[in-house]
Amino acid sequence: MAMYLKGERAEEASALARAAELLGQARLPVIGGLLTDIAGAEAALALARKLGAVIDHDAGEALTRSTRLARETGACPASFGEARNRADLVVLIGDAPLARDPKLINELFPAEEGLPRPGDKPRELVMLGSARPRTVGDMPVTTIPLKGDDLPTVIARLAMAVAGRPVGGEGKLDGKIMRLAELLRGAAFPVFVYSAADLEEPVIHVILDMVRHLCLTTRAATLTLATSGNGDGVNLCSAWTCGLPVRTRFIDGLPEHDPWLYAAARLIDSGEADALLYVDALEAEGATPPPGVRTVLLTRDQGRRAAAEIVIEVASAARDHDAELYLPRLSGIGVVKAAQAGSGAPTVAATLARIADLVPLAEAGPC
Amino acid sequence: MLIRLKGGRVIDPAHDRDAVGDVFIDDGRIVAAPGNGCAPDETYDVSGKVVMAGAVDVHSHIAGSNVTMARLLMPELPALAAKKGAAIAPTPAAWSAFATGIRYAEMGYTTVIEPAVIPTHAIEAQRELSRIPIIDVGGLVILGNDDFTLGLLHDRAGPSEVEDYVAWTLAHSKCLGIKLINAGGSAAFKFNARTFGLDDEVPAYGVTSRAILQGLQRAVTALGVPHPIHVHCNNLGIAGNADTAVATMEAAEGLPMHLAHIQFYGYGAEGPKGLTSAAPRLAEAIKRHPNISVDIGQVLFGQTLTLSADILRQFDGRGAASPRKWEIIQGEGNGTGIVPYKYRAKNFVNAMQWSIGLEIMLLAEDLWRVLFSTDHPNGALFVRYPEIIHLLMDKDERARMLDRVPPEARELSNLPGIAREFTLSEIAIVTRAGPARRLGLADRGHLGAGAVADVAVYTDRADKTAMFGSADLVFKDGRLVVKDGEVVDISFGQAFQVAPDFDAAIERKLAHFYDRYYGVNSSSFGVPATIAARPDRFQTVPCLS
Repeated sequence: MAMYLKGERAEEASALARAAELLGQARLPVIGGLLTDIAGAEAALALARKLGAVIDHDAGEALTRSTRLARETGACPASFGEARNRADLVVLIGDAPLARDPKLINELFPAEEGLPRPGDKPRELVMLGSARPRTVGDMPVTTIPLKGDDLPTVIARLAMAVAGRPVGGEGKLDGKIMRLAELLRGAAFPVFVYSAADLEEPVIHVILDMVRHLCLTTRAATLTLATSGNGDGVNLCSAWTCGLPVRTRFIDGLPEHDPWLYAAARLIDSGEADALLYVDALEAEGATPPPGVRTVLLTRDQGRRAAAEIVIEVASAARDHDAELYLPRLSGIGVVKAAQAGSGAPTVAATLARIADLVPLAEAGPC
Repeated sequence: MLIRLKGGRVIDPAHDRDAVGDVFIDDGRIVAAPGNGCAPDETYDVSGKVVMAGAVDVHSHIAGSNVTMARLLMPELPALAAKKGAAIAPTPAAWSAFATGIRYAEMGYTTVIEPAVIPTHAIEAQRELSRIPIIDVGGLVILGNDDFTLGLLHDRAGPSEVEDYVAWTLAHSKCLGIKLINAGGSAAFKFNARTFGLDDEVPAYGVTSRAILQGLQRAVTALGVPHPIHVHCNNLGIAGNADTAVATMEAAEGLPMHLAHIQFYGYGAEGPKGLTSAAPRLAEAIKRHPNISVDIGQVLFGQTLTLSADILRQFDGRGAASPRKWEIIQGEGNGTGIVPYKYRAKNFVNAMQWSIGLEIMLLAEDLWRVLFSTDHPNGALFVRYPEIIHLLMDKDERARMLDRVPPEARELSNLPGIAREFTLSEIAIVTRAGPARRLGLADRGHLGAGAVADVAVYTDRADKTAMFGSADLVFKDGRLVVKDGEVVDISFGQAFQVAPDFDAAIERKLAHFYDRYYGVNSSSFGVPATIAARPDRFQTVPCLS
């Protein structure tokens, strides 16, 4: 596996030294992308701490929305397995869940009967603000179209109906919304499925409050779609490593979190960031670093030699080596075995560790 | 390299030792005093100081997806606790895996057990444990609310199949023992039950908590797992639940069992406030059942966070969250409930809880079976252990604290009538020798020849909080890791597991079960031996034959 400086093939030692130098001399380096496994995430965090860098993931927006809401208001999540086996009412919110995970409905509603579950009604699927999907065959599905309103408004109306709050001003709520509210209150375990990447924070907050209200009389939960690029895995790793989620900066070894301030894309756009180490090393998906900043690119692709000032080809997690990754069906970190025998390519973890070794301590951290 | 710790007061209750003398370390082990002509390579003069084996924590929530979700829910916990004087840095990083090991080592702890490993999330638990420096660790894996266990019992599976499943689970999660948390309670909660007692039935499966408890206990015992089944009983926190604790002890029917955080079951329901101390009753029951051990789950006043896979109980208690936020995670098996909580000296119930935990310890006859814990973080953060040691050793300190509580609690507390003050040997039993023995870790918790050279040296002080808050010297596997209360060497320890055999048929059955009901490949949550990226990370503790 090769390393390149300004598009030209370079000696390993030289490329790594230049990467360490670029990052070590930066006033505000950012480690981003982070499409990598848990081992890669750990190494990225260690390097960030040494550099005094910001750490962010491409899915940072979705991740920090969820963690901020949890931190400020709490949460009520269900695992995928519980939603699949025990939810008697599943409400998919908007188009995003199915667009991001086309097998979602088939896996939440498998053909075979699941584990024993509460309630005596047949399981139901509701598409809130979305059309009836083609994949469900003749399974009964209720669709609640937007009818000219936007999705946040429809969600808010549903929340009001569930809470039994009087509606002022515009008159009666849509009949379908009222019926869904009834269904939710009568369900043994309703679960709302949504993508945090596709809903604004206040909208997610309304859903969470609705779930908490339902918990007064029944039991309800949310199922947030796993983010792309092992975002959930990287975020958990950040939390156990430094106590905080991604979009965190290390200052004198201590972490400081701010989902707006420490967003990689914003820092690069504004010019505050003056160096970027971007990791793109997962088999299932690829990503491109944002332009406009001196970049060290760790990529599992070959043939991107000119994609950044310093390009380091690395192994692809779960293709070239076993990898620990967040597995959506497990709602947790599992291990994925390597698809093919070791290619000999250096792992992200090993590469980042070597760069960290080369960063001089005197230069580590901001002035 | 031969190391001599010279002239300290050596406290080693496992060998009836409390005397001034030397401790010798060689090649990572305690050795007998060498013969003449064998000069030590290093000598530490510890005269006037107290020398004990490194402490062993039998029950502390330090790693796993549940702990990390708690970190995300309340990153401000260390700062809030520090503000009120807890010995913790006021930063979210104080709650990281790395800081956990550092802080434990600074207090002289060298082995800690994580008591709630979720089977399908064992990889995260073991990964996090591997990031905790210095201390040796072990996990207890949770069974009893998972559908596979319930299915086996419902189908009246034979004992050998239950044993196979238990053994498979231990191997798959690389854990040291089995944990039961309100057996059947989480499963019943999924059917919207809100209470669950020992003889209640799980809907659809028709299995009682008692049947789950006994079925799994028998399997653990038959397999020869050294640590007994570790049980979080039903009805935690409910007035009158001393009945449940005693009934659970009786349900053990003479087989070994460990009851977790027993303070939370020390409640009678009498009196003007409907809450009294049942500590004397529990102490008596523990005495009467030599097969039973407990850990205390002591409460301290201050800010903490409750983290428990007793989701039925956590859901019930969510209204008391302080700060007002909570997380109920509906997962496979038990799930997890996270509820921030502040114990207040002026709150009658909290004051009773504080008193009851201490009473149970102080009334204990056989301290080898009444072990020290706060069920960190549930009763108090582990960094506050020294405060509890102080309370056990100093009745005036107890009296001072009793002055702060409501008069109704003072009247009902049994503490005023208890003059007992723990000796250093007794502290060593409940924080080292007893836990090590109960866990089946024969090479630690004591300073006999052949023991692992995990040693803690403290300056003897009247202020026991200060004394045990910061060790002068700590050796881990014979290496100096702490000097003057600060870590001087970062090493990484081992993880203990047991590995009883099982019939491969169970593996096929489970592969099918997880594929059918979860769409998951069961090997995807098996902990690989390479999880720690260090060779020899796992040490297998032999099963009893």
